[in-house]
Amino acid sequence: MKQINSLSISSVILTLLICIPAVLIFIHIFFGESNNWQHLVDTVLYEYVFNSLYIMLGVAVLTSIIGFSTAYITTMFKFSFSDFFHYALILPFAIPTYIVAYIYGGMFDITGSVTTFILNLLNMKISEVYFFDIMSIEGAIIVMSLVLYPYVYLVSKTYLRAESASIIDASKTLGLSQWQIFYKVIIPISRPAIVAGVILAVMEAVADFGVMDYFGVSTFVTGIFRTWFGMGSVEDASRLAGMLMLFIFLLIFFEKYQRKNKQYKSSGKDFKPISKIQLHGSKNILAFLACFFPFFFGFLLPFFQMSYWFYLSYEYVIDEDFFTVLTQTLVIATFSALLITLMAFVFVYNVRLSKSHFSDMLTQISKLGYSIPGAVIAVGILSFFTLLDKNILAAFDANFLISGTIAAVIFGYCVRFLAIAINNYESGFSKIPFTYDDACKTMNIKQKRVLWYVILPLIKNSGLAAFIIVFIEIIKELPLTMILRPFNYDTLAVLTHELVMQSQIVESSVPSMFIVGLGIISVLILARKMIKD
Amino acid sequence: MFKKMLLSSLLLANSIFAASEVNIYSHRHYDTDKQLFKMFEEKTGIKVNVVKADASALIKRIQSEGKNSPADVLITVDAAGLFQAKDQGLLQSIQSNYLTSHIPEKFRDKDNQWFALTKRARVFVYKVGSDIPNELKTYEDLADPKFKGQVMVRSSNNVYNQSLLAAVIAHHGEEYALNWAKGVVANMAHDPKGNDRYQVKAVANDIGSIAVANTYYIGKMVDNRDISQAEAVKKVKILFPVFENGGTHVNVSGAGVAKYAPNKENAIKFIEFLASKDAQDLFANGNFEYPILAEVEKNDILKSWGTFEEDNISMNLLGENNKTAVKIFDQANWR
Repeated sequence: MKQINSLSISSVILTLLICIPAVLIFIHIFFGESNNWQHLVDTVLYEYVFNSLYIMLGVAVLTSIIGFSTAYITTMFKFSFSDFFHYALILPFAIPTYIVAYIYGGMFDITGSVTTFILNLLNMKISEVYFFDIMSIEGAIIVMSLVLYPYVYLVSKTYLRAESASIIDASKTLGLSQWQIFYKVIIPISRPAIVAGVILAVMEAVADFGVMDYFGVSTFVTGIFRTWFGMGSVEDASRLAGMLMLFIFLLIFFEKYQRKNKQYKSSGKDFKPISKIQLHGSKNILAFLACFFPFFFGFLLPFFQMSYWFYLSYEYVIDEDFFTVLTQTLVIATFSALLITLMAFVFVYNVRLSKSHFSDMLTQISKLGYSIPGAVIAVGILSFFTLLDKNILAAFDANFLISGTIAAVIFGYCVRFLAIAINNYESGFSKIPFTYDDACKTMNIKQKRVLWYVILPLIKNSGLAAFIIVFIEIIKELPLTMILRPFNYDTLAVLTHELVMQSQIVESSVPSMFIVGLGIISVLILARKMIKD
Repeated sequence: MFKKMLLSSLLLANSIFAASEVNIYSHRHYDTDKQLFKMFEEKTGIKVNVVKADASALIKRIQSEGKNSPADVLITVDAAGLFQAKDQGLLQSIQSNYLTSHIPEKFRDKDNQWFALTKRARVFVYKVGSDIPNELKTYEDLADPKFKGQVMVRSSNNVYNQSLLAAVIAHHGEEYALNWAKGVVANMAHDPKGNDRYQVKAVANDIGSIAVANTYYIGKMVDNRDISQAEAVKKVKILFPVFENGGTHVNVSGAGVAKYAPNKENAIKFIEFLASKDAQDLFANGNFEYPILAEVEKNDILKSWGTFEEDNISMNLLGENNKTAVKIFDQANWR
């Protein structure tokens, strides 16, 4: 009981901390002046809402189809290169979305290398033939989905693998075909995992700035930046951000409410590994292609282009300063990801032990940060640290600022990425039956021992997945780091951005390549771990 | 490790009050700047600390930090950012005979709160051999219905477009500006997207016949390891348009001293250095910008484009009209 209390208290404190930037933004909404709101309503707000919804819907549909089908195929079947795809399908994750957008723009937009090549081949002009322009809202959906489907893949796969194979066996004894098992049994039981992955992908898509700005798509986030930077109105920008947050909040609660009546937890009595079915002939080819296309377009193609650029420019970019940037990036990402993974565990474990709606609500609130664009979180954190600096530190006559230190950056990462770690744990915990806890209770085993010997071993994969995903996300993160970082403190993402801003897209491939390299290493560790277990 | 990092960052936060340093908040993000900072350090022994981000983010940061702000110098890529900072009371007037005597009046703030360091012109780009130079002379012409489906320009989120419209407002008033923006939207080859280089590539590929772009981007395309950019720019030429009652639209990158600068003297030295001949040479040759000092020679690529007459409106107006410009873009459906 004592432990429950300390856990609960920790989650309340953490929630409060995490919420501070959001609350400060909300205060702007109600108490800040707003001169431009009516203008926004009259001109662009409808478009922001419509486009954001359209992108969310598009990304949800595409990522769930790509992510879940590949997770299912690689979990259930053996086919040519299936072991390879097990790793490879997670790789798109490693490339920042804005980099993929630049690369796809360069290849497939109406001036792109591929487009020009085809036109030359046909001896035609762009005006004479219909070309799908990747630089459009649909193009943005496709690019985002190609990079974000691993969210769904990872969560679904972890879930499917752990899901008792006996369900499939039972379905077979009932005479269901493989196809019937897929849509009558597997899809319904996998819904929480799919939705958990999709929500992450959708939140990421809707908080994106780089892709949307380059492709010329107006969304809430481009609107927030435009209102803030162009009109100089933090109040109106915050109000837009507040609307976006509220919307995401509703989405999360809606999903929870939907799931409430269904318990997906297996009884845990008959836990055994899935025996994979060997595919032959056309089925083998189909399975291969279904996995190859997402891998090719999500990773291989952009990776080839980047590698070529890297080859062209590495000697101009890699110098002593570059290694400093690399080290700084690694240190801050490792430390922050560890911290976030630990915090997320406190939240989710507390929900499980207390079984209270209040704890659950705290957890859901703490996930909100993921839906807020990094730059807006940064504004909230600046306001918070300013309060601290001006009132508390000043009272102690301390002549330094918390804002503009590493602490501010790490705090920002916690606010922004806690949701990813929590979602991973939630999906992991959902397959540990409550009967385990009950059994331990009847045997009078202390909570600490249950945690150490029962829960942690079962949840460690989710923890590892959480750590790795957060680690990669932090390495890719841009606006928040840019705004909050101390003097002379660059990360790989910041360096990439600066080179892109200087129109040195070719050179920008060098830091991006390191981001991708770190991503690949992380992904390999993750996948190996999954295979071992 | 973390403790060490935290400690060092706190120490860093403390050490910024040391006398031999200068703290720069910069929106500029060019390689040349790195070289400039090194030159300054070598010359004066004053250490340069830099944070780079978008101007509005930096302004918000200085505002939040208040009196404790370590910021000494704010550098932006556009007059509007400097105006915004001054407007919010985040800069201070400084005394520098060198700056006031070397930087022309229209390129500095009237209260000496900021000074322009480099210039960039927003020009039109057309394909070699096209008839555009005979038909198109002014910015106003861009809205002429005869160019329907031919204009390529990036999104109005971009501050360079906002400044251009701010200049239109300064010349003709808001109502005209709205109609002009609507006219340009009607003439667009497709919805605004991509950056300035994308527009140039699009003209080279015959998607539209007129692109709007900043001069230094075109210089960078000439000198680029990305072959598609270097190839595209060979197929195009630059046209310096003028306003009907003025010259070519020019914007500036400039710097001001923060109100609570802990190293004010160093800050002034730093800005004076950026306006010195050596630094101006580097701006001109490293980044294809037009130097603010009349005596500094332009880069050869810039020279090859010929000369032009600058628009004479005050840079302050670009800042003052920025918000209105964004609203007009919204009303004109220029995304």
